[in-house]
Amino acid sequence: MSAAAEVLVEPTGFADFRRRFVGTPSAVLGFAIVAFAVGVALLSPWIAPADFSRTNMAFIWEPPGNDFALGTDALGRDVLSRLMVGAAVSLTVALSVLAIALVVGTAAGMTAAWRGGWFDAFVMRTADITFAFPDLIVAILVAAMLGPGIPTVILSLALVSWPGIARLTRSLVLSLRNELFVDAAIVCGTKPATILLRHCLPNIVPALIVRASVGVGFVVMAEATLSFLGLGVQEPLPSWGGMIRDGLPALRSDPHLTLAAGTALGVTIIGFNLLGDGLRDLLDPRIRER
Amino acid sequence: MTAYVLRRLLGLLPVLVAAVVLTFVANRFVPGDPITIMLGDQGGNAVLERKLRSEYGLDRPVTVQFVDYVAKLAHGDFGLSFRYPGVPVTQVIRNALWISPSIAAAALALAIPIGIALGVVAALRRNTLADTGIVLVLVAGLSIPNFALAAFLVWGFALKLGWVPVAGWTSWRHAILPVVLLAIPAAAYLARLARTFMLEVLQQDYVRTARAKGLSERLVVWRHALRNVLVPILTVCGVIFGGLITGTVVIETVFNIPGLGRIAIESIFARDYPVTMAIVMLFTFFYATINFAVDVLYGLVDPRIRLEARR
Amino acid sequence: MKAAKLFRCLAVAAVFVVGVVGPAQARDLRININADPEMIDPITMSALIAGDVLRNVYQSFTWVDENGKVLPALALKWTAHPDNLGWRFELRPGVKFHTGRPFGAKDVKASFEALLAPGSKAGLQLQYLQRIVGAKDVQDGKTKDLAGVKVVSDLVVEVRFSATDVLFPIYPFLFFDTQVIVDKGPNWFMEVSAGTGPYKFAAWRRGENVYLQAFKDYYGGAPKIDGLRFIVVPSEETAVTMYEAGELDVLMVASTDLARRVMRDAKLRAEAKTVSAAQITYLGMNQNLYAPFKDKRVREAFCISIDRDAMTRGLFGGLAQPLYGQITPGIPGYNPAVKKIAYDPERAKRLLADAGYPGGRGMPPLRIANLAPFRNEVAYYADQWKQVLGVTVDLDIMERATFLRSLNAGETPFFSWGWTADYPDALYYLSQVWHSKSSFNRARYSNPAFDALIDRAQVTADDPTRYKLYHEAEALLLDDWGTCGIFVRTNVAVVKPNVTGVTLAPMRMLPYEKVTIN
Repeated sequence: MSAAAEVLVEPTGFADFRRRFVGTPSAVLGFAIVAFAVGVALLSPWIAPADFSRTNMAFIWEPPGNDFALGTDALGRDVLSRLMVGAAVSLTVALSVLAIALVVGTAAGMTAAWRGGWFDAFVMRTADITFAFPDLIVAILVAAMLGPGIPTVILSLALVSWPGIARLTRSLVLSLRNELFVDAAIVCGTKPATILLRHCLPNIVPALIVRASVGVGFVVMAEATLSFLGLGVQEPLPSWGGMIRDGLPALRSDPHLTLAAGTALGVTIIGFNLLGDGLRDLLDPRIRER
Repeated sequence: MTAYVLRRLLGLLPVLVAAVVLTFVANRFVPGDPITIMLGDQGGNAVLERKLRSEYGLDRPVTVQFVDYVAKLAHGDFGLSFRYPGVPVTQVIRNALWISPSIAAAALALAIPIGIALGVVAALRRNTLADTGIVLVLVAGLSIPNFALAAFLVWGFALKLGWVPVAGWTSWRHAILPVVLLAIPAAAYLARLARTFMLEVLQQDYVRTARAKGLSERLVVWRHALRNVLVPILTVCGVIFGGLITGTVVIETVFNIPGLGRIAIESIFARDYPVTMAIVMLFTFFYATINFAVDVLYGLVDPRIRLEARR
Repeated sequence: MKAAKLFRCLAVAAVFVVGVVGPAQARDLRININADPEMIDPITMSALIAGDVLRNVYQSFTWVDENGKVLPALALKWTAHPDNLGWRFELRPGVKFHTGRPFGAKDVKASFEALLAPGSKAGLQLQYLQRIVGAKDVQDGKTKDLAGVKVVSDLVVEVRFSATDVLFPIYPFLFFDTQVIVDKGPNWFMEVSAGTGPYKFAAWRRGENVYLQAFKDYYGGAPKIDGLRFIVVPSEETAVTMYEAGELDVLMVASTDLARRVMRDAKLRAEAKTVSAAQITYLGMNQNLYAPFKDKRVREAFCISIDRDAMTRGLFGGLAQPLYGQITPGIPGYNPAVKKIAYDPERAKRLLADAGYPGGRGMPPLRIANLAPFRNEVAYYADQWKQVLGVTVDLDIMERATFLRSLNAGETPFFSWGWTADYPDALYYLSQVWHSKSSFNRARYSNPAFDALIDRAQVTADDPTRYKLYHEAEALLLDDWGTCGIFVRTNVAVVKPNVTGVTLAPMRMLPYEKVTIN
């Protein structure tokens, strides 16, 4: 049995995959957290107990209690409702960033690996240059340039996320090129695009899934950091990072504000990372993070 | 080997050129005019505005400004700060120059041994309670944002226990919390990598052979396996260092450390183009240098890399 | 032998440790500032932080105490010229500059000339000199001699104007020893201190602190502490923790969030000083840029949809008072009888419907502009307008320079902004913010009747008569709903109990002249 065969997730192996997945407690925990976060985000318009933007001057910084399960913020807005909507905001940003980064990164990486030459050099140099700038500084610069808001956050984070995926894709495709089944396809006269999409892509999908599920964690955290610095999601839309910043002035007297948002943020990222780790161990223990 | 080093050095050039061009362009597209900030409430004073614009060379075409910027850069002159009128950029960042890299380097130095040790232990005890515990801690270390963690550590260690100062930058004790906070995610990241690599190496033929030869487990791990784990770990140190430098932006703001990270944020918000450009250049320089060093080291320990780079 | 050596080592070590840890003899007052001062010289001074620092180094003819009372500083007596077009100042004898030279009439003239010199980037003080005879000629470089300022004797100086300026003696000038420009060049201020104040500039470590040293020859008596250390702390959260850990003696509170937090913490509240600020906060409604604002009913509807009592109690935790007029209490010219603006959602709805926008229908899109630190306030307004009027107002959180430029250019249709008094007279608010000729009239409000009253007040020397004109003008502005006052902030500072002599005034901190640390 060759090493490459281990990488493949055979369609018939799904049952096997599920069995092994269920046997990995941390992956199951991660999956549960992610599923919960996604569920809350999707259902937030219906399950949020109050209007997330409704201010109430009579209930400023209320402690958690009967009327407000998680208390209220500086404007008397319901923290629980804001957390729920915040989940939707965070996940929307994260998924959009990943979608863009995956499409751009995979396309660039596959093409670079297959064509080599100047295109490869170009993509890799571009990636190098992007890597040469600290991610957050680039994101902050872009955000300052375009003005804060959700589209800005998505764009700036996608900009720093695609090179990693391009590099990973390139290295995986490069190693696949020496595999027998690719040689066979070339000999049969299959078009490069077909080889890449039909034969190579399925083989690197597990790696991309792992990479993406770990990437979500990073993107959620980066969005929170931008919002924490005031460059991300804007009022009246809630963001977990912004909620932490808003809660800091009251950390000692009303820790629930920072705690609630910090916990939601931390646990969600933990969930994505656990899921990513689990998937990596199951799908391909050889995948390296780059 | 010399040829390899030279090639890597040449590879640095486009990065630095791109850094110059991109920071210049980015800063010019940022909304908000620095002269307006300088004028403050004197906004209506057209004479003064013209004078300032010509003093700072902002009345010339952008291309001329760029050529002038590059020419001065070659002489180590970053121009004048916008935020502190008349003060050279070099003077604004001089005190801060070594603070961020020192903090990042200290955090890296702290993270490497801790990370590798945790990762190796977890790998050797794969699928035990210890492994699961370590993995969970690592995931948490990577997941909790440092600005949130910082608030709790300050509250606990500085205020409640009084072990370390709250903030500032006057003694080495001020560096403890920032360095530890920065080191936590770095160590967790390294530990995860170490664990992954170790698991992989332990399955390799030569380890099996070593075991089959009847070598003691300790010898197998330390002599054969760990060595091969260290090499790939080395390569990610550049990336981690970059992450740490980035981390100083938030950490220095939280801990009131007058380093490049905090000045960078302040300059971006204050539209101080020259200072922002200088700092981004410096960050890029630190980052490129350490990546270069890592590449060279990697080339030294693994001849295949040198050969592959030639293709 | 060996033991003796060891003992010596230990003794040295002990001395070293004691020397380092030692009894704390540092008698510096440590104060937080949230950014580096933009400048440290008296000529270009134009920002609040620089003002907080330089107030201790440089002085004017007069100063203002915490009750808004004008008291003599470098001038002992000032009298208006009979034709009301000039002032005569008798200066304080025995005043020494930090440079060692004596202060006199020639320095007043020289300071003004330095401010007006072509190519000097003069800050806030410049606007106070415009009416002096010959100011324009000096500014244009035609002459170096400021004709309107006459040195009568060593300690008497006369200033002549082209138009009456009744408030000239209370302007906050920063007189300095101009000889330093000759001696040290244009960047003299980083090397020497040239003021007359109780502290002299000693060092500025950018990003870390500004240090002022006590001036032993100060005419009011040498300060009882060694110096002032203004520590740069951008994060307020950090500033509080530093104060609590004893790393700050005075905690200056800038934001509402922090002020509220301080008042909720029993320990901090006990050490807090509060005073109503000399700062108005209002809504700017530009009638040229947003058509519905042309209708007085719409302006009123927006203004009475905000519950000022609930807001100052809730959002500000009591650290603000509703503002109904455009002058803050405690400032000469304030009218305590100004009409209250009641929160009246029913009337607001009706007014908007009468204006042709029932339930907010038909209103063109509207955004309210402001800066990030004030986003809570605008988020509250926007929610009120949505709830009361059914109008969706988006928040436009802008970057500071862009916001200011757009305000100064009169390009912002709708904004919430403030104005801080620089000298204690109601004219500062009325003429600068609402006179149609002022560049700081950011809502571009224009009312000839209002302008006429202000123009008259400007040349009226008699205080009660002038104040009456202020009241009339203010009433005109309010009845027209040309402005919409919202609140007056309360200044908050927290001071360690072992520190005395720190006084918080409506126009920020008084100089730390009489401070003691026990």
